[in-house]
Amino acid sequence: MRKLLAYTFAWIAAITAGHLYLNVNWAVLMNDRLPLEKRKLNVAYIPVT
Amino acid sequence: MTDYISAYSRSGQLFIPRLFQGFPEIKEALMSNRMQAAFMVAPMAIALRAQGVPVKIVYLGHRYGSAVVVQKDGPVKTFADLKGKVVAIPSRFSDERLILFRAMKVNGMKASDVHLVEMAPPDVAGALAAGAIDAFSMGEPFPSQSEMSGRGRVLFHAREYWPDYMSCVLVVRQDVIDHRPEAVQVLVDGIARSGLWLEEKEKRRAHRTQAADFVGRYYYRQDPKLLRWALLKPEDRVKYEPLSPRKKDFDLVTQLMRETGVLDRDIAFEEYVDVRFAEGAEGQRPWKYEAGWAKAE
Repeated sequence: MRKLLAYTFAWIAAITAGHLYLNVNWAVLMNDRLPLEKRKLNVAYIPVT
Repeated sequence: MTDYISAYSRSGQLFIPRLFQGFPEIKEALMSNRMQAAFMVAPMAIALRAQGVPVKIVYLGHRYGSAVVVQKDGPVKTFADLKGKVVAIPSRFSDERLILFRAMKVNGMKASDVHLVEMAPPDVAGALAAGAIDAFSMGEPFPSQSEMSGRGRVLFHAREYWPDYMSCVLVVRQDVIDHRPEAVQVLVDGIARSGLWLEEKEKRRAHRTQAADFVGRYYYRQDPKLLRWALLKPEDRVKYEPLSPRKKDFDLVTQLMRETGVLDRDIAFEEYVDVRFAEGAEGQRPWKYEAGWAKAE
């Protein structure tokens, strides 16, 4: 039982870490936490020239 | 490209690029301050300002880079053959629509002679191949995509009817211009340096090849071969200099917008363009960067 729980926990931790790495835009999150005068501008673009 | 190279510079990443799939979504994000700046088609930026939205154009994204594409072995051989045909455009507020009207005028055709439909840019090459449309007027890389697939043929490039043609412009919120002009200048300087880097005389081809590779790989998730085609066939298919907004270019856009019913009042150049950042970027040098280098200057 303990082994099963350990595997489950490890699996959830790996999936969570993968999600945080692949799907979270950390540059945006960190930028939004900076004081306004230090924030970088968010610039929108679409994939055309 | 600016984002990729500047990340290797001493100052680090200059801005946060955010990908959108269409211009209407960009417009909403700008108005709600989720985005402080955006690349969008020039007529849309002018129309926003005319409607009272507090934004200004501060720089251009590029020149040229739009084309009208028809089926490779289809019935349309000349512009006059487009009479009665269905042509896709990205938006009614786009230079790609205006270039069609300009070509119609030159060829003695009326606006009602061609049936225009709005279509998301990524859909047009497939729609042309399937015969759902007869032609499209669109910015790169979609004309290149259609040519590369062997299904499309460029009927004409925008510059053939419109010398110094421009399409995407850099738009910034007025409150950012007022309170953080130094941040706007950093952004404009970075774009200016990227343009100069792409246009550097003897390295032009090499730099465009490098740009196609890293932009395709890290930003657009597109085949670098497609971007190489758009940037190199021919090399002046898209130009990145001069990018300063010029009054005569915009006067032509507003005149065409008035003639074609997408601008309901005259609007002064100074009302929708702020030239001080372009002036501030004069004298900038191209990035010193080659593929594989660990730092850029």
